[in-house]
Amino acid sequence: MGTMPTISRRQFIISTAAFGGGMALGIVDADAAFLGQEPWAAGDGLAGAELNPWISIGADDIVTVRVATPEIGNGCMTQTPMLVAEELACDWNKIRAEFAPPSRDFRENGVYALGDAPTGYFSGRSTSPERMKLMLQMGASARERLKAAAAAEWKVPVAEIAAKDSVLTHTPSGRTLRYGEIAAKAATVALSAEPATKPQSEWTLLGKASPPKLNNPQIVNGSAIYGMDVRVPGMVYAALRQSPVHGGKIRSFDAAKAKTMPGVLAVVTVDPHEPRGLKDMKTGAPFGYADTVVRAAVAVIAEHYWQARKALDTVQVEWDDGAGAHWKTTGQMVDACVAALEKPADKVEKQSGDVKLIDKQDKIVEATYVTPFSDQAPMEPLNGTALVTADKLEVWHPAQQSKQAFWVAADEAGMHPSKVTFHQTFIGGAFGRRIFADDLRMVVAIAKKFPGRPVHTIWSREEQTRQGKYRPLVAAKLRAGLDKTGMPAVIVASQASKGHFPRLADNPYFLGCIPNVLVDARLLPIHVVTGAYRGPGYNSYAFMVETFIDECAHEAGMDPLEYRLKLLANWPDPGWAKVLREVADKSGWGKELPKGMGQGIAIANWGMNGKPEAGTTVGVVATVEVTKSGILKVHQLDAAFDCGRVVNRDAVLNLAQGGVIFGLNMALNEEVNVKDGRMVEGNFDQYPILRTGDTPQVNIHFGGLSGHDRFAELGEPPAGPVGPAIGNAIFRAIGKRIRSTPIRKHDLTWA
Amino acid sequence: MPYDLTVNGQPHSIDADPSTPLLWVLRDHLGMTGTKYGCGIAQCGACTVHLDGTPTRSCQVPLESAAGASVTTIEGLSPDSSHVLQQLWIEMNVPQCGYCQSGMLMAAAALLKNIPNPTDADIDAYVDNICRCGTYPRVRAAIHKAASGSKV
Repeated sequence: MGTMPTISRRQFIISTAAFGGGMALGIVDADAAFLGQEPWAAGDGLAGAELNPWISIGADDIVTVRVATPEIGNGCMTQTPMLVAEELACDWNKIRAEFAPPSRDFRENGVYALGDAPTGYFSGRSTSPERMKLMLQMGASARERLKAAAAAEWKVPVAEIAAKDSVLTHTPSGRTLRYGEIAAKAATVALSAEPATKPQSEWTLLGKASPPKLNNPQIVNGSAIYGMDVRVPGMVYAALRQSPVHGGKIRSFDAAKAKTMPGVLAVVTVDPHEPRGLKDMKTGAPFGYADTVVRAAVAVIAEHYWQARKALDTVQVEWDDGAGAHWKTTGQMVDACVAALEKPADKVEKQSGDVKLIDKQDKIVEATYVTPFSDQAPMEPLNGTALVTADKLEVWHPAQQSKQAFWVAADEAGMHPSKVTFHQTFIGGAFGRRIFADDLRMVVAIAKKFPGRPVHTIWSREEQTRQGKYRPLVAAKLRAGLDKTGMPAVIVASQASKGHFPRLADNPYFLGCIPNVLVDARLLPIHVVTGAYRGPGYNSYAFMVETFIDECAHEAGMDPLEYRLKLLANWPDPGWAKVLREVADKSGWGKELPKGMGQGIAIANWGMNGKPEAGTTVGVVATVEVTKSGILKVHQLDAAFDCGRVVNRDAVLNLAQGGVIFGLNMALNEEVNVKDGRMVEGNFDQYPILRTGDTPQVNIHFGGLSGHDRFAELGEPPAGPVGPAIGNAIFRAIGKRIRSTPIRKHDLTWA
Repeated sequence: MPYDLTVNGQPHSIDADPSTPLLWVLRDHLGMTGTKYGCGIAQCGACTVHLDGTPTRSCQVPLESAAGASVTTIEGLSPDSSHVLQQLWIEMNVPQCGYCQSGMLMAAAALLKNIPNPTDADIDAYVDNICRCGTYPRVRAAIHKAASGSKV
């Protein structure tokens, strides 16, 4: 396709949608598809002739596409316009993307969450089946209306009109109209029936092109506006400190000194128990409010951020730590989870066959695994900006779920949603941390104590890490009975956790490959706040299950690859075996390695939700070396995957590479600890993240794709199998079994 | 007492607390938000600028120490995003969320200025910024491509 955007030297300075004129100058390439440095829509209405709430076309042929998936780094604000452009048959370079305003969504009864209600307005998932179908349909519908308007103009049959590259052509006569010339008329056309969308075989953009992401130009010159970069007239800054023990309260505080310091405007407190909320209104927040509870906090508001930070340091707070302080160490919590495994379950999540048959098997394999609290650690610290006045709330925020954030903001301000204006900024990473909008509730809670001026609240890195919504702490005991062929006939998986996602049974082994299964759960009342973290639940369960399967293979005396293939032989999703064979083949599985080196394999799926041929399956082979003094070097990570089919090969590759590296860091390094109820780790010196020089060779292989007709997501899936592949490789290198993460804490010395 | 500072060739006089980190002087007092706050303790490199030509983590430079210096930020890396690294970053789809990339680019630009044809080890040493999205393989590839003189 010849319309891939190129970086033209013809560049123009234009003024973007400005509020108050501040920092609103940007360099825009007039000849390329475009997304503004401020991604939010300037108003509720679309510029140009509006064909539907997602698409308008200007007289200059510019196609504005409203995108309901915030740009979180996965390219969804580029992918969604590609879906529209495919069916609209417009010139890609005429595309302008902007974020679909939640205020219009509210007014028009959830229009932008149509087709994918639970995850509508959710970052990413631009290729979720419902959303993809909707955007293709909207593009096709707009195209047919353009054709109908041209047919009326020319008084010819619609069937004689072709649409291509933003031009309508009457094929018999050769007459043409640009989209922009007929768009206003097209907007008045009503179709008697919705057109069919193209078969995939006729796609010219999807599956073929990987254009540079629309926000790349704004990233590389620093002009992209993340939440942290919002600057509005009259804006002031807030720095905050929350109860160091989650769930604690302020007993008393002394801010006398802070109030005398330069630039300080106010010292305010946030009390989780003070009255709040839209009392008489059913919430439209997709995840409700339970996960958005504010924490007790003191905040200093000042003209400049550094003034607020310095003043906050002088505020003396006496905290009432509450019940959480009883947990003296992380070890106590882990011990409590492991002890709970022996107690009756709170919940049975999966039961099939008869697990009592375990006593009749040839061999019992049993092991206990633990994965720790971990922080999502997005590079952009939590932040947000809110202006509260008597009858209005205006918010600028890097939300991962904009509709959720919109409603949480309204609820915290006690303001009817019709009075709320929400500006979705770019997002400096989230990985689950910004889904619930607990951060925005705090931002509004502070701003409403200082009405009349926009308050920009920034969490310090330390504050963010210690005031997390962490990946849950999970302990699980897996117990299998192997039959005389060495294959598991029975499996019992017991788990105990703080924070819980019911996904332990969501893998083929438990869904049919092993005939007798019991999966149950126990929930511990630990005070540490938990939430979503890249592949919630899955990231722990993949480690546990895939390490355990390896242990079973070892007990059976079988090769771990062959064992998995045999176990999956009757699983009605050929993608699993294909992924395993691809990654084994490409990584040189089975080759002779010297003592101290080893390869490990693991496979897992995110998004299958109990069904074959759903979600994305990822297989990883890790090639590692362990020195006798116990230093681990991961030499290479090979990954193959099956998400069905691919619409944007480079975007898939980018996400897969990044996801594998994320999974690597999760397994090697990540853990948040507790001491006397308080979270220990604060910054990257204590919570290490791999850097360029620490990153092994990462090879992503496309040969595992089954071609099944789905376009499942790539963000979460790679996070699962990397850790167990490394642990299994360590076992094969030195004989030590890794049953908990982070791996850096294990003694890997050998002789 | 105001402090004089040259940023991207423009002189500025800044009246702020002398302990204010250069990072916040740029972002808050000058409104130049391309330089990012990530950690505040010189770990992540998102705040990297060139201070008198040297790549520097601006969160660790108090205003009073920066007085009189010449600072280049991401906004001044080139006037029109024409720096070879900026062009390759776009073309090769290096960024994911993009938040750390200002610092990555400033570190990488300093590397190429000092070592026009860097080895992998040079890249590891110079560009040790943190990227949570895991763009490292593409950062490395783009630097090598820039060094090889491949035209965009």
